Amino acid sequence: MYNVLQLFVRYGAHILFVVLEIICFYLIINYNQDQKQIFLNSSNLYAAKLSQQQARITQFTRLSNQNDSLLHENANLIENLISIEYASSKIPSADSALSQYRLIPAQICNSTSYLRNNHITLCKGSREGIRQDMGVISSHQGVVGIVRNVSENFSHVISLLHSQAKLSCSIKNRAGHGTLVWKTMDPLRMTLESIPKHQKISIGDTVVTSGYSTMFPKGILVGKIESFKPISGGNSFDITVKLFNDLTDIRYAYVVQNRFGDEQKNLEKDVKDE
Amino acid sequence: MNRSSIQTNVIRVLLLFVAQVLIFKQITFSLGGFASIHCLIYPMAILLLPVKTNRSVLLVLAFLFGISLDMFYDSPGIHTATLVLTAYLRQVIIAFLEPFDGYNMDDVPTIKKMGLAWFVSYIIIALLLHIFVYFSIEAFSFVYFFEIFLNTIFSFIFSFVTVLILTFIFRTKY
Repeated sequence: MYNVLQLFVRYGAHILFVVLEIICFYLIINYNQDQKQIFLNSSNLYAAKLSQQQARITQFTRLSNQNDSLLHENANLIENLISIEYASSKIPSADSALSQYRLIPAQICNSTSYLRNNHITLCKGSREGIRQDMGVISSHQGVVGIVRNVSENFSHVISLLHSQAKLSCSIKNRAGHGTLVWKTMDPLRMTLESIPKHQKISIGDTVVTSGYSTMFPKGILVGKIESFKPISGGNSFDITVKLFNDLTDIRYAYVVQNRFGDEQKNLEKDVKDE
Repeated sequence: MNRSSIQTNVIRVLLLFVAQVLIFKQITFSLGGFASIHCLIYPMAILLLPVKTNRSVLLVLAFLFGISLDMFYDSPGIHTATLVLTAYLRQVIIAFLEPFDGYNMDDVPTIKKMGLAWFVSYIIIALLLHIFVYFSIEAFSFVYFFEIFLNTIFSFIFSFVTVLILTFIFRTKY
């Protein structure tokens, strides 16, 4: 006890200094919006830069794979283009005011896929027009996630493989829509919920986005039904969906910019407020 | 510390607080768009206390002063953290500038008592440190080192000149 007292007598001022500074920094970080943001972000700033460098190097080793997938994607697009061309003689050009969705290509500079809550960082941010709550897709078959936070040069995406991620989906050529959630730890399989029992579905059916949210256009391919069973006592099916794209191995993604999204949201908000 | 010394110091602390909040807070301008100048004279409240003041007293006083200042600056903790650090390091600076024959018990850091050279070097070191720390904490990241550096230099020159003028106007005994 005497020693403790002596310690305080001798180093009291130093201890007081440390205590006061801790109080100050607690205040600074908790009550100043700027410092809080910087405190959360500046560590991220370095981390993101580092992983950007890493991505640049590892990307080099994957060039041939990427080339392959790009070729496939191109082929797919050309196929679509041809079929549209046959269907209608006039195609509105891609950047006309008529087209509702615009895609912003972005490189992925950091991603996790084996955690319970997975995140992806894109190397593009608000400077390129990415905003909060935009959808992210990887190719024409594959939803990646939803933009949660945007900084000037990076954006932070909540992956589909996240316990909070919910995606409104429907089954191609069938009625009804449900919610896609990730319940397993398997990065290739997700669960489609609340498809009512009276709907007719079968194994192998294609699951697509329903287009009911402003984030994703209708009909983006998500996956295939692998198995389903009715929930006992419930009114809906428990459907296991095998995803088309492997979220553990994506290097590029497209951010979906919905030109009429704000309009729709405002309209719906007005109705809710009444 | 006799009675009139306490009186002078209390009045000085209060006046500096009022002056900083009412007058020098308004004097904030940007120089050609690359450096913003703040006039910080309030560290003098701590710096001009008698040389042998107890360190813990200094720290507590700095904390209270800084907290009240931060209420007016709407920046909880920033001025406080800086001022507490300045109060903590004050003794180190004073020890660094110690004359040959040491300090007397009743020494006060004024031009009359310690001489102009001592006073100016004391204020330069302490004020520069204070302003640099202030801008660092305000930016909160050394990514902006260049801006911090520029702001520090220009704000320091401005504050230093103001402090000198004020000390020549208000010649106090303590």
